[in-house]
Amino acid sequence: MYITAASTISHQPTFRNNGFALKLSELKPASEIIEPDYSEFIPAMDRRRMSGVIKMAIACSIDCLKQAGLSQPDGIIVGTSMGCSVHTKNFLDKILAANEGLLSPTSFIVSTHNTIAGQISLLLKNHGYNMTHTQNSLSFEQALLDGILCIQNEYTNVLVGGADEEENSINNIKGRLNDENIHITCGASFFILSDKADSPASLNLAAVESFGLIDDAAKITMNFLDSNNISPEEIDLVLYSNSGNRKTDELKRMFGQKKIFDYQTVSGTYYTNSAFAVHYGADILLEKAHPVFGDKISRVLVYNNLIPENLGLILLDNKIN
Amino acid sequence: MKIFVTGIGIVSAVGLNIEQNLCSLKSGLTGINKSPVYNLMLAEVKLSNEEIVQLLGLPDEDFSRTTLLSILAAKEAWGKNKIASIVRTGIISSTSVGGLDRIEKYYFESQRDTSSKAYSLMTHDNGRTTERVAAELGISGYIGTISTACSSGANAIMQGARLIEANKLDRVVVGGCDPLALFDIKGFSSLNIYDQNICKPFDDKRMGLNLGEGAGFLVLENEQSLSVTGNTPLCLLSGWDNATDAFHQTASSPNGKGASLAMINALAKANINPEKINYINAHGTGTGNNDLSESIALKTVFGDNTPPFSSTKGFTGHTLAAAGAIEAVYCVQAIQSQAILPNLNFSTPMKETGMVPETIFRSAVPVEHVLSNSFGFGGNCTCLIFSKVR
Repeated sequence: MYITAASTISHQPTFRNNGFALKLSELKPASEIIEPDYSEFIPAMDRRRMSGVIKMAIACSIDCLKQAGLSQPDGIIVGTSMGCSVHTKNFLDKILAANEGLLSPTSFIVSTHNTIAGQISLLLKNHGYNMTHTQNSLSFEQALLDGILCIQNEYTNVLVGGADEEENSINNIKGRLNDENIHITCGASFFILSDKADSPASLNLAAVESFGLIDDAAKITMNFLDSNNISPEEIDLVLYSNSGNRKTDELKRMFGQKKIFDYQTVSGTYYTNSAFAVHYGADILLEKAHPVFGDKISRVLVYNNLIPENLGLILLDNKIN
Repeated sequence: MKIFVTGIGIVSAVGLNIEQNLCSLKSGLTGINKSPVYNLMLAEVKLSNEEIVQLLGLPDEDFSRTTLLSILAAKEAWGKNKIASIVRTGIISSTSVGGLDRIEKYYFESQRDTSSKAYSLMTHDNGRTTERVAAELGISGYIGTISTACSSGANAIMQGARLIEANKLDRVVVGGCDPLALFDIKGFSSLNIYDQNICKPFDDKRMGLNLGEGAGFLVLENEQSLSVTGNTPLCLLSGWDNATDAFHQTASSPNGKGASLAMINALAKANINPEKINYINAHGTGTGNNDLSESIALKTVFGDNTPPFSSTKGFTGHTLAAAGAIEAVYCVQAIQSQAILPNLNFSTPMKETGMVPETIFRSAVPVEHVLSNSFGFGGNCTCLIFSKVR
């Protein structure tokens, strides 16, 4: 199972910027989304009515397809925790303002979570498999796992992404995470999963798992590594997330202090930011070294424990035969 | 690999459990009434949130109606199942509303009073409702939620089957739920899509849909799980597929491309010929657009030999994300009772196709294979096939 292309729009200069992970600095407190010129990807008329998350997702999707030299994927799978929350709020506002009056359906029809994957299929005229996973902080992991199942079921190329937009009045992430100090951001990261390592940027997607209502993250992680026949020493870099000032003692004990990195210091916090972490890790694996994390980086674990009861584990390496 | 259905649960406007639902299907009793609050025909579950909390003996929490209806149906499906470490068990639910009914409450309050209970807004997150259902059943591990508008329930069932097939799970609770939320009531109203009377799926004079609420859940198991649980299979989930219409965000294409692709691929997955299907539970919302597009897709797949078909939305209303799950339970019941389910309110075949749905509960007919269609916004088309255990 291979990742053959990756594309991210975020609060950092990630879009069409290979090697970005070697240069990124810590996110500034008042950061904003860095968007490309969308006119290259979306016709002007469509662009005006699209919310941020749709535009990000479409630009990343098209960028991925171009990198992989594909015109159509066999399937389109999106993980999104909050979906189209800007349009959801718009429509709520309209209900409140209109009382018994007439409402325009514009915001309503694009408020469903699967508008993202649906709009990508409409733009591409893609009739294939189309799925939307929405399990808060594990939405992206479940989308990625779905992509793996597709490839195992004889699909050749699948487009998989994680995307969330910022709408703080109805997305109470701080409340769920019980953490007032987190830096809420947004972003989209898309990937091509393929049965062949047929691009120069190919990486091996070794394993993906999603665990909900967990009681022992360390034990689950050890079992995960065991079942993939890998010891903690063989992991060169752990990109982790957590929240609420939870300790990282256990991670340090398992993997060593120098090998763990809190990816939220560069991505900020949104529920599908593990997709950012996968692209960040992929970027380092392709360079095989990093000025801070050292050289000879050949295996990365994305350890998503953003919500304490949820654990996502994604194992990536650059061992392409 | 065989995927066994071993448990079913349902709550809808025509019943609070599987027996009540089957009884309503037999007697042709609709659950759609005029709602005095909205002055609209709606299919409401005749239980308040407080009554469900009391019925289930739940603690005093700020539950969303999505969670409550889900727990009611999921518990019925789960029955006497127990958690066992050797049976890898997961849950995949689906919803379009999630905790939006709570959002409405606090959002509208917060417009007036900024000090209101903003923390409750976190329930918008659809995944949260599934976590709460999982906790109620004692399930941890794979806890997932699908949201693909009106095909959500069918997709959750398909995901469960795929995870069993990929040897990731041995047993999985799958289904979907949507409560009647102001957001959807106003949303579909803005689309001008309501029938002011009870809907008439596949009728030439159909005027639109009626919204409904409810939840449907199934338990799926592999052979290994059965050997531990000792559960009796009710039927098999033998085929499934998802395809995309790629025509319009909300409207179905004139040729029903996505729908016919999903049906053809699901038949291939089940490895059966179209003529083996004994009954089709159609999506059949009662809108001009859906029923015509679906009829044409049925013609594409089955030619002039479309098997007996019906839409059960004249009973339950259109329950959105729950529809695919509720109708999947009805398909299992059709196999269990060897019966074809009726379509209410049909009198005149539509001019374009002349297709006539089944209008009575017809029992004592051999029902080996049943096909269920679910279509949603974004051109999302899913087809499931259930088969009798031989």
